[in-house]
Order: sequence, then C-alpha cells, then structure tokens
Amino acid sequence: MNISGRAAVSGMAELKPEIDAGGRSSLELLSEVASRAIKDAGLRKSDLDGLLVTPPAEDSCFMWPAQVAEYLKMSPSYINMVELGGASACAAITRAALAVTAGLCRHCLCLSGGIWDSQVFNSQEGKMAVMSRAEIDFELPYGPMGFNSGYALIAQRHMYEFGTTVEQMAKIAVDQRQNALANPDALFNKQAISIEDVLNSPLIVDPIHLLEIVRPCSGAAAVIISRSEEAIDMPNVPVYLLGMGEACTHNSIIYSDSITVSPVKWSAARAFAMAGLKPVDMDLLSLYDCYPITVIVTLEDAGFCDKGAGGFFVQSHDLTYRGDLPLNTHGGQLSFGQPSYAGGMSHVTEAVRQLRGEAEKRQIKNNRLAFVNGNGGVMSTQSSLILGRDKHDVR
Amino acid sequence: MTLDNGEKWFKKGRTALKIQYCPACEKYIFFPREMCPYCLEVKPEWKETTGRGIIYSYTTVRRSSLSEFQDRVPYTYAMVELHEGIRIPTNIINCPVDRVRIGMPVELAWIEESKETIPVFRPAP
Ligand SMILES: [Zn+2]
Repeated sequence: MNISGRAAVSGMAELKPEIDAGGRSSLELLSEVASRAIKDAGLRKSDLDGLLVTPPAEDSCFMWPAQVAEYLKMSPSYINMVELGGASACAAITRAALAVTAGLCRHCLCLSGGIWDSQVFNSQEGKMAVMSRAEIDFELPYGPMGFNSGYALIAQRHMYEFGTTVEQMAKIAVDQRQNALANPDALFNKQAISIEDVLNSPLIVDPIHLLEIVRPCSGAAAVIISRSEEAIDMPNVPVYLLGMGEACTHNSIIYSDSITVSPVKWSAARAFAMAGLKPVDMDLLSLYDCYPITVIVTLEDAGFCDKGAGGFFVQSHDLTYRGDLPLNTHGGQLSFGQPSYAGGMSHVTEAVRQLRGEAEKRQIKNNRLAFVNGNGGVMSTQSSLILGRDKHDVR
Repeated sequence: MTLDNGEKWFKKGRTALKIQYCPACEKYIFFPREMCPYCLEVKPEWKETTGRGIIYSYTTVRRSSLSEFQDRVPYTYAMVELHEGIRIPTNIINCPVDRVRIGMPVELAWIEESKETIPVFRPAP
C-alpha cells in the first residue's frame, strides 16, 4: 500500500528560539506551542487523539509521552516517543502519517522541543548522556569533541576525497544567514556574515569554524497531522505528505562503511520512490544543518548533485530565498538556532510555511514541492520527507 | 567496559593490539561484542593485528572541553584504518598537528598512564 498523499499537515506552530527561557520548563513551552498549533488547525483540544513527542532536553525522559499527555490533559488513542536524535521530528511526522492513515487516530499532535541548559550541556554528565557505551569506552579516552569532531572527520575526509574547500562549506553558513535576516524569529537575524567572517572565526576542530557550528537553545514546535480528506475541510492549505523514507547504518561515525556517504542515500531514494518524484522536481530544500558539511553530504546523497560535487554545487547556486535553489530559508539551525529536538522540526515548519505561502518576506515564488531531511547523530539515522501542495496521485 | 578474555582495551601492560575476528564471516569486528554482529551465530575470537595502518581521517582539537585534555591541545583525534581493514578511533602522537595527513602510514604506539595502557599511533618510518 502506498500512503503517498493520504495524510497532511493541518496545523503547526513554532516558538521563537531563546538562549534564556526565563526559568520556564519544557512542559510549559510544549503546552504553549501545542495551544497555538491547535488554534492554527482550527481544532479544539478534544479533537486531538494522537500524541507523538520527542525527548525533552532537561527533564526526565521516563514515561515522557504520558507526562506530556497528563500535563495537557489529553487521553490519546495513539501515543509514543520518537528518539532518533535530529531525525526525530521528521520521523514523528512519518509515524503520525502512518497512524492517521491506519485509523489509529484522526489528528495526531507531534510535539518537539524543550529547555536548553548550558550547565547540563557543558558538564561531563551532559556529554556522556548523548554517548553510547561504545563511544564512552572506546572513543572518549581519545578526547573527541562530541558531534563537532565527528563532523570534522567527515569534512576532512570529504575535502581529501573530493577537493571540497573551506570556502564552499562556509558559503552555506553565509547564505543561510541571509535567509535568517528575513526571519524575525531567527536567533541570529541582525547581521550578515561573509565567507571571510566564517573563516576568520575561531577554528574549533579542523576544518570546522565557530560560525559553522549550530547554536543550541530553548524552544518548541508543534505539527498536527490529519488524514487528507479531513485536512481539505480545515482552515489551512493542506500540505500533503507525498513521500517518506528512513535509513540507519551506524550510530557512531567510526563505524560507517564510508564516512562521506550518508544513509540519506537510501532514505531519500525511498521517499522519492513513494512520491513518484525526483530531486529536480523540488522547489525548496529544508535540510538538517548542524554543520555545513551535513548539508553538502545530504545534497549529494539525496541526489541533488553528483557524489563529491556538493561543494561546487553550493558554490554555484544561490541558496537564499531569492536564489535559484532556496535552501533552509528560515536560516537553518545555523542561524535560526537549534532548540533541542525542535531544531529538526524547524525544517518541517519552514517547508509548511513556504508551501502554504505564509513565509512573508522570505516567501519563495515556486512553492509546490519541498524536500525535508532530518539527520540524527553523526550522519546516522536519516528521515526524509517530500511535502507537496497538490495531492499528486501516484497510484 | 565488560570485556572478558583478559582483552580489556586499555589493560595496563598490554603489548599487542588484538581485535575480534569471526572465522565464519572472515571479518574483523570493532568495537568488541559478545556475538559476531555479521552472522549473529559465532562468538568472535581475538586476533593479533600488525599494528600498522593509515590515517583514514582526523581532526585537530584546538579547544577541548574535557578536563583531562585541556592541557594537551592541540592534539589529533583520528580514525586509523588497520592493514586488516578495520577502522578504530585513536590519537596520533609524535607528529606535529599540522603535519598529519589522510593516507599517512602509521604504526602502533603505547601511552602508559597510571592505571591504563592506551593504544595510539605514530608516523611509520
Ligand atoms: Zn560471523
């Protein structure tokens, strides 16, 4: 059974990312954003009978879906937590689409986000909390710098294999900042940056500079998934889920067969096959960006350019909302910020905004189809989505 | 770490780099596991390696947030591909960070710490 086009985004909301959440808790942020999403969808709270959450950043994870349901006084017929790192948000959308299509629930709320605590983040416990036993036992004794050094290994090897340059990588941060300047909600939306600015910012782990590293912060996002025949009668332009695909080949990058190849190669191929579409059909790319190299590898392996040509590809296209290849028009996590697990949801919410035609200053003209990719860990689990304004019957 | 067979990765006084191997699959296995993850039928054996390989990728850590490493910066965190074909995480020593290159031949070396002996790599002659 192909479920392409059977489910749609019927509502969504997103909080402005903040460095300091002013003492609020993850549950407080989630309830605020849920309230806004319900309003956006034109529903009442009692209409929601599905709940998918991603883990909180600072609170205990134990029975987290039930903690959220209890706080919101929901009694869902379908409830779960999705923990696939940065791929969790896209993966939650996929699971919600499956649930509403299968009739397990009618309207599924996908909730993501939480409080970022710099003290927890910088502590030894905080670092170890995101590491596997194998990473703690066999990698930590050699002094890796978490995700930074994992992606640095990829970038270094990509430069060696394909001749990718530091300027090409820096350009992604530069173009995405241009996008953020048109996004009032972005964390970094005041000042443009140049390639020189990026390359003159401190080198943290070669070849990655400070301005190429995502900024963790607090925030939340909510997306409501409904069956398409219901979404059609709801207030918003439905944004249909045309393609979904996932893949996972490793956890730590050390154990990837080739560190310059991402499992997005398979997740994207599966999503495009489900949708009956090709990369060239896409009007907007919304790609998980924790570092520029993530975007380059994703572009290559999702099929937007040849393998190894990603650096040249970003150099020769304008990635801004005014450009020939709009990419991460909200600024990406590099400039929008990474509000915990809601960072991955920001790629979904921006695609929905663009496809609805609600992106205001940064609205792209051709806005029928978007490719969205979620990336968990160090190019580990991938969850790809193809969103469209038309139902596009492939059967 | 709960490795048996006395093959603890950082066991004090080690002199050989042994890696798990599945004779049925004819594959090396890292990190160590209870069962061969390829066939999930065979308990792997330990095999001594040549201790030689090349740098597959690396990064120079300029600022470390790990307390034990703060006085060691800059240092090289690397993936070495052993002759046996398996890749392992490690440090490169006896080589200025700016001289480290992908493809560089390296050989096993040991860092003696108070409670552990840590396998690392240095440029091969
Ligand atoms: Zn085997």
